[in-house]
Amino acid sequence: MNILESVGKSTIERVEYLGGLTVQFWRGLRASWRANPITGNRLRWKSTVLQMAIVGVNALPVVCLISACTGLILALQAGAELRQFGALQFVINLVGVSMTRELGPLMTAVVVIGRSGSAFSAEIGTMVVTEEIDALRAMALDPVEFVLVPKYLAMMAMMPCLTIAADAAGVMAGGIYTYYALDMSMGLYLQATLEVLLTRDIVSGLVKSIAFGTIIVHVGCFEGFKVRGGPEGVGRATTAAVVKSIFLVVMADLLFTAFFYFFWQ
Amino acid sequence: MTEGTENSSLTSRDPAQPEPIISVQDLVVSYGENTVLHGVNLDILPGETMVILGGSGSGKSTMLRHIEALARPTSGRIFIKGVDVTRASEKELVEIRRIMGISFQSAAMFNSMTVGDNVALPLREHTKLAEPTIKLMTRMKLEQVGLGGVEDLYPSQLSGGMKKRASVARALAMDPEILMFDEPSAGLDPIIAAGIDELILHLKSAFKMTIIVVTHELESAFLIADRLCMLRKGKIIAVGTKDEMRNNDHPRIRQFLDRIPDEVGADQGAYLERLTDR
Repeated sequence: MNILESVGKSTIERVEYLGGLTVQFWRGLRASWRANPITGNRLRWKSTVLQMAIVGVNALPVVCLISACTGLILALQAGAELRQFGALQFVINLVGVSMTRELGPLMTAVVVIGRSGSAFSAEIGTMVVTEEIDALRAMALDPVEFVLVPKYLAMMAMMPCLTIAADAAGVMAGGIYTYYALDMSMGLYLQATLEVLLTRDIVSGLVKSIAFGTIIVHVGCFEGFKVRGGPEGVGRATTAAVVKSIFLVVMADLLFTAFFYFFWQ
Repeated sequence: MTEGTENSSLTSRDPAQPEPIISVQDLVVSYGENTVLHGVNLDILPGETMVILGGSGSGKSTMLRHIEALARPTSGRIFIKGVDVTRASEKELVEIRRIMGISFQSAAMFNSMTVGDNVALPLREHTKLAEPTIKLMTRMKLEQVGLGGVEDLYPSQLSGGMKKRASVARALAMDPEILMFDEPSAGLDPIIAAGIDELILHLKSAFKMTIIVVTHELESAFLIADRLCMLRKGKIIAVGTKDEMRNNDHPRIRQFLDRIPDEVGADQGAYLERLTDR
């Protein structure tokens, strides 16, 4: 196979993949509407609440811990540089802005991919292997509505919450640094952070978190639905879900950051 | 080979027979280069038990998947009660699937739900029955398959045979007109397999359902069938009643019914040809 052929082939594969994701996204939106709380199917709400606990509440400790570590790392690294210029108080700006805009949503997404994205693909992949997905369709139930929608709705509700928790944990951990390096009380530090932060910083982070949640659910479920063959297919799907989710989340992050940079300053 | 040529004469229909409830016409299924079904024709009459026989890889499970409209064929049509399921919209399929129940080879119980919830699922989703009624019907369906009192257990707590029975109960939940079994006795010991056969016979006599069974177990096939259909390498080589099948002298049917293994090395020329075929 020459270079042109292989480039063409892999391009077609990528485009097909994105096309498949888009179709699933659209079907997911329509099915989500059928599960809306007012006129929709109440049966979906029970599993949505269960999923909220699994993807959201149970992820809270690890999200907070990782974000706190990130916040502290950020403060230490920035402090080491800024100290040379006598500009140590800018650590507050740096930690506040980069946690809320960037690292809060990103670290949350990474944790959720590891905890839930992989679990989605494994769960659905196993359901494909054991014919449970076929059984759903044979019972005239849409697998997208039955399996994907509760996860999607739960993720849409929980990703912003987790991101806010991550933001808070990261900022607080930055305070530990300033407490020792600048002799600044926690109250004063938080006040200074609030003065630096704009609504835009937090909102743009939350917008990102919604986009990341969408990517995680759809890539995880798509990989699961695609499973063919036996248990080794499930393993491959799980790996693919994690790798592709991380890649797409970072790409989306770049796009959103560029967008906010140019259009929302 | 000559196996495909007699297809049309075998499946041509007697005009006196009633309208078939399921009619498979020229069904072709291929995955890439690999063709699994080569133009299959089969009519299934209302109320009869049709057993689809065939060895591994003969395409019998594929055929069932297409009758259930779980996949779209490469070409051909499948009419169920006059609706072409190969071209039907999702909405029409929902209607058609409500009159069909299927018990999968692996039972396909939802492992995250109790057995009772599994059986109740179609009722909860598709009907507006009150919860106590659903509970009652669930218990009724489970008792029909000889599984009273397991509704609070999880599928993982059941044995293979019980799971199979529970999946039949789930298939029965919506009182289907057509009931399908994919390898009902695969992986079960003879006593439990015999129990499943008995269950199929009971359902047939009690509810007058149209039953389709895919299997390679000869004894069970001849016990439960009204008519049998034999698939080999994606083609139907015979359709007929039990006696017609027993008296059929097609070499492949004789081989299957008399359980004779494929001869290797008997005919040197043919053997060489087979090896170099691809």
